[in-house]
Amino acid sequence: MSPGKELIKGFYTENPVFRLMLGLCPVLATSTSVNNGIGMGAATLFVLVCSNVVISLIRKAIPAKIRIPIFIMIIATFVTIVDLVMAGFFPELHESLGIFISLIVVNCIILGRAEAYASKNNVFYAFIDGLGMGLGFTLSMILISSIREILGNGTWLGLEVFGSGYNPVLLMILSPGAFFTIGLLMSFLSWFEGRRSSCVTNF
Amino acid sequence: MDMHSLLVISVGAIFISNFVLHRFLGLCPYIGVSKQLDSAVGMGMAVIFVMTMASVATWLIYHYFLSPSPLNILFRLLMRGQGEPPDLTYLRTIAFILVIATLVQFVEMVIQKLSPGLYRSLGIYLPLITTNCAVLGVSLLNINEQYSFIESVVNGFTSGLGFTLALVLMAGLREKLELAQVPRSMHGAPIAFIIAGCMSLAFLGFSGLKF
Amino acid sequence: MKDVMRFAFILTLTAAVTSGSLAYVNSVTRPRITARQNAEMKEALHYVLQGSEKGIIESVFQNGEIVFYKGYQKPDKRDLIGYAFVASGQGYSSEIQTMVGVNPQGKILRVRILFQQETPGLGTRCEEIRKNESVPWWQRQFQGTDAQSIKVDKDGGAIESITGATITSRAITESIALKTKIVLQKTDQKDN
Repeated sequence: MSPGKELIKGFYTENPVFRLMLGLCPVLATSTSVNNGIGMGAATLFVLVCSNVVISLIRKAIPAKIRIPIFIMIIATFVTIVDLVMAGFFPELHESLGIFISLIVVNCIILGRAEAYASKNNVFYAFIDGLGMGLGFTLSMILISSIREILGNGTWLGLEVFGSGYNPVLLMILSPGAFFTIGLLMSFLSWFEGRRSSCVTNF
Repeated sequence: MDMHSLLVISVGAIFISNFVLHRFLGLCPYIGVSKQLDSAVGMGMAVIFVMTMASVATWLIYHYFLSPSPLNILFRLLMRGQGEPPDLTYLRTIAFILVIATLVQFVEMVIQKLSPGLYRSLGIYLPLITTNCAVLGVSLLNINEQYSFIESVVNGFTSGLGFTLALVLMAGLREKLELAQVPRSMHGAPIAFIIAGCMSLAFLGFSGLKF
Repeated sequence: MKDVMRFAFILTLTAAVTSGSLAYVNSVTRPRITARQNAEMKEALHYVLQGSEKGIIESVFQNGEIVFYKGYQKPDKRDLIGYAFVASGQGYSSEIQTMVGVNPQGKILRVRILFQQETPGLGTRCEEIRKNESVPWWQRQFQGTDAQSIKVDKDGGAIESITGATITSRAITESIALKTKIVLQKTDQKDN
């Protein structure tokens, strides 16, 4: 187990969104603009790293039978911290993400990593795992929100991409656009993987 | 009771801002449990039940324990109604998720004891519901929209109904899809998302409904 | 039995530690959040009731809740500028709150949207600011109109609705007209 490998596995091979299909609700709901996407990604990253570290620290003291409620309490604490800090320092982001900040607590990635990784590994690896998975999630958020914002609004992070003559595909910003984007991206990924594996078997 | 506002909430929750297709809540079971019609109906019933119960429980918890109102039970017992009621609303995420987890466990035990038949059809779906964001989502929405108790219960029930509607429609489509020729890269989740997109597009037509 | 006691103890301990740390974070951030909200409110009031910075803004209560504000040019409550109030209406995906300033005759002075969670790129354009301008173009068209009778163009009014966001435009416009009627009725009663 090398730290480097553990860090980058979340980017592609075990990408939480496209591969493990975890935490899709916030991905679809808050990817309407790159700004929101980055905000949501960063919030999830913070909660993931913190809860992984704390759970790994106290993993030997938690009885197996009551581990889930304890994990949930720890995760909910960090989510509330993010919520309060965001309300105090980034009010506009807090307004546009709405209840999805509180809903990080039921994001399956976080409980999933706590259960599958942090409760079995030491603090250093738990930290690396949280960081890698969180970054993988954030990158997926940025990818999806970029596609939706560029096509649906003609802008990227608020900067005009196509010039004023572009007539935006409003559908991409509305809810169907989210489903189409993720469906097509997943299908592209599966096509790409299919090609890669058939190349490997040919050789 | 104002029937009109309840009707507006119901139609809004089922059609206009459908939990799955508009608010993007509860997608994991929507994609995961929509392969067969039977299990979709079972899951839908379990979600309706838990969402209604959760709306009741979290509304009571919020208004009698967390919110800074003179009704706050902690305020009346511990401080004997003196001074300012404490504002514990920052504990709402942690309180709600624990209440929901306990509630689901409790409902599971009760159903198992009282009605083994119902347990066989709903039981396996109940543990999955704890981490379903639709349940926590409806609880938080009830608070954010400042719904009264009755409105919260109606919103919980009809949101569950909207979820079930989307889930059952999806399951019906996916059963038919088994027979269709789908490109290999589209198998499984990708085609499910594309269908969900089309359904969401159709549901957009409900927006602007007025009473 | 021993296990149950131990589990209960551990769970209680976790709950105590987590809520304790949250209480601490809350005590640090809460003043900042309230201060920010108050500052935002004050800024909006001064914006919609221009000239009230040097004067005074008085809150009018009913049943313990603020119904509207009165803005004066002078600190000793002389020279009434007009009334300000928050109008809220159900938009496409959120409850939109708008701060409105009207003069005593019911003509709109200025409006500012305080809260909205509408669809980005559509409904959110109600707050869009064009290049080299400082005021959102959509909100500017309310200035000088008769607040009680405003309507969007699709309903035969003068307010140009945002392309693709008629629901948002209509919600804001109707909420302003409705609340103005309520507020002006109250002020009439008071003055008589």
